[in-house]
Amino acid sequence: MLKPIFTFLAASLLLVGTASAETVKLALIDPLTGPMAAAGQPAFEHLKYEAKRINANGGLNGQDLEIVGLDNKVNPQESLVQLQKAIDDGIRYVTQGNGSSVASALISAIEKHNQRNPGDEVLYLNYAAVDPAFTNERCSYWHFRFDANADMKMNALTNYIANNKDIKKVYLINQDYSFGQAVSKAAREMLKEKRPDIEIVGNDFHPLAKVKDFTPYVSKIQSSGADAVITGNWGQDITLLVKAAAEFGLEAPFYTYYGASSGVVTQLGDKGVDRIYQINEYYGEFEDPEMAKRQTELYEQAEWDFYYLRLSTMLDMLKKATDKAESTDPVDVAKVMEGMTLETTTGEVVMRAEDHQVQLPMFISVMKDNMKYGAEGTDYNFKKVARIDREDVSLPTTCRMRRPK
Amino acid sequence: MNDITAVAPRQNRFSWRALSPWLISAAVLLILPFVLESGTAFTLMNVIAVNIVFALSYNMLLGQGGMLSFGHAVFFGLGSYAAMHAMNAIDEASYAGEGFWSHIPVVSMPLVGMIAGGLVALIIGWPFCRRAGTAFAMITLGLGEMVAAAGQMFPSVFGGEAGIYGNRMVGPQWFGLELAQATDVYWFMAFWTFLAVFAMWAFTRTPLGRMSNAVRDNPDRLQFIGYPPRNIRFMIFIASGSFGGLAGGMAAVNYEIITPEALGLIPSGLALLMAAVGGLGVFYGPIVGAIVVSLMNSMLSDYTDASILYVGLVFLAIVMFAPRGLGGGIEQFRVALREGSLGKRLPGWLIGAAAVVLISLGLVLFIELLFQWRHGDDEFAHFFGLDFAAGSLMSWIWALVMFAGGVAVMRFSKKFREDNA
Repeated sequence: MLKPIFTFLAASLLLVGTASAETVKLALIDPLTGPMAAAGQPAFEHLKYEAKRINANGGLNGQDLEIVGLDNKVNPQESLVQLQKAIDDGIRYVTQGNGSSVASALISAIEKHNQRNPGDEVLYLNYAAVDPAFTNERCSYWHFRFDANADMKMNALTNYIANNKDIKKVYLINQDYSFGQAVSKAAREMLKEKRPDIEIVGNDFHPLAKVKDFTPYVSKIQSSGADAVITGNWGQDITLLVKAAAEFGLEAPFYTYYGASSGVVTQLGDKGVDRIYQINEYYGEFEDPEMAKRQTELYEQAEWDFYYLRLSTMLDMLKKATDKAESTDPVDVAKVMEGMTLETTTGEVVMRAEDHQVQLPMFISVMKDNMKYGAEGTDYNFKKVARIDREDVSLPTTCRMRRPK
Repeated sequence: MNDITAVAPRQNRFSWRALSPWLISAAVLLILPFVLESGTAFTLMNVIAVNIVFALSYNMLLGQGGMLSFGHAVFFGLGSYAAMHAMNAIDEASYAGEGFWSHIPVVSMPLVGMIAGGLVALIIGWPFCRRAGTAFAMITLGLGEMVAAAGQMFPSVFGGEAGIYGNRMVGPQWFGLELAQATDVYWFMAFWTFLAVFAMWAFTRTPLGRMSNAVRDNPDRLQFIGYPPRNIRFMIFIASGSFGGLAGGMAAVNYEIITPEALGLIPSGLALLMAAVGGLGVFYGPIVGAIVVSLMNSMLSDYTDASILYVGLVFLAIVMFAPRGLGGGIEQFRVALREGSLGKRLPGWLIGAAAVVLISLGLVLFIELLFQWRHGDDEFAHFFGLDFAAGSLMSWIWALVMFAGGVAVMRFSKKFREDNA
């Protein structure tokens, strides 16, 4: 007798919604509240904006795409609870980007879920977690990565540096944890191979998100006589580092992974101009009118810049795959998404079948003033310096993909 | 904290009355899986189970021993890492089909966590326990930060940012528990939670458990009568670390992944939050706190962008206005019921509760409106079928009216409530 009452309570309490047949839901499991919300909210707004475009163009195999935001507070354990909520809600597509710790938890959880629940498979579309392991030794059939991994970014960056004969001395400064260590290792190995004459004049690690004043590090860089600095820093560690360099008068440019992530431009202002370079799949000029339109509209609607070209690529490819498979079932979609190509504004991208790692051209860009489309409401944005072709970004994989029968 | 009794009065003879909480909770644990269906409910219950043991083990330190710790997650995390490494050893040994680990079931992982947590406390605890109070809090804060930083720096042991992951469906199965789904894991969780809670309750009844209250209330006197407070604190520290590690072992099986973040200040703060919200002075307080805080953590963000703010406000409100926590409130109610004074006191409590509800509704409405206004959402907030929007003045007036009404009820009923307290 109590059962209906309890199930009613559980249903009302736990949001056990009914998945309507007409929509395909994609859950974004990312920080949406709290101190890290600035990392998850732009992606959320971006996805919602792009979903409208997809739906206006016929949706996913005729069904509407709906984006569901689930807050994980960048905590791997909490992410698994949110994943379970998504699965209960009938959601079969999950996307996430902030934190390789969360990505690691999701990959292994989804792998197990799909193994233990045939017929209820979930697909994980990774838009920004860049640990190379996810498409190498830990590769999973249910994981597709739409961002270049950390090693590919370094490959592109070092290919650019190798052709730039002015650079003779390089300084490495990174956060002291697995990602920073991986960036430093990749930089040393690749530079040694491509330009043996380049001297690594410093290889510093600093505590993660703890340093308030980078002046001692900057003065070390200055006295080493470096022509360029490579850093994988993100968040406050990149802003404070470049700020300290500007105040110290260090001339050497900073080659970064995350120089254009949200907040950096506003906080650096004039101090970043001509000083901060980034390697990314896009840049801030928007010479393609379609992209310029998206930048303007997204900024008007949600006050976020069009930073994630890869989210557009991801949804476009999802649409192409569902249309081609004539199904929105993750099993069918995964099958056709392997090896799929897509024409984007920067050129053709390929979802490599071997390891589910997207292969795409990348760009080196530098922060400039008086740009036509300023980032974050300022006049600053990133201007293209060089294009690195897809072949020069690509790296071999050690993945031995275990495909379901 | 002197007026609080953390343990029930001693009863030597067997009585159903003393046994009833255990029988009831065992019955609830047995019935729950048959009335709940969704996977989310099971997942949440498993999270709550881990947090119950974690919060209770923390309360051994703070509530019973009077030692404020900011580094309890170290034991939880290291216990979890130990269990995870053991689980991976089982995985490898069962493929090879030989070796010590191939005979160990995954069901026993909490014990591995417990041993690890206890060992860590045993090794590092002695210098910490010389003082309680601020010194102890500072040292544990440093310990927590140090271990968390080390966790990020040694990828070979802690797995770097991506952490260490494993598979719980390996090794010999006990009781036919396959541990594939959250529903299977529930039985594992229920068993260990019940066992751990009972063990921790039993601990409060031992001479050492009683001494831990004494060392909290008056360490000088304890010294005089021949019990060095440091020894007592050290033993409590080890016991608490062991149960923290046990919770970590449960977490390892539940999540099948552990990352260095689990060692840091945030999970340590969570333990304090759960214990304080539930009530430090009542044995079952942290259980209530763990349930409330876990649900708030996982569910609230679906409804509002300000979820973290609310968790903070609840903590603040309880520390300021109800220092005995939710468990303290339940205990008060129970005492009144036993003494037969409930009829006299209930009206005052209900009026107070109504005032609190009014004030919170006003505050919630205000915060939601503020968020709506700030983020320019055009969605409406719904309360009692009324639509509220940041654009309309009426919404703000409503918020003010509710808040002021609550404060007024609080003020004017003060004498009545005090007379009937």
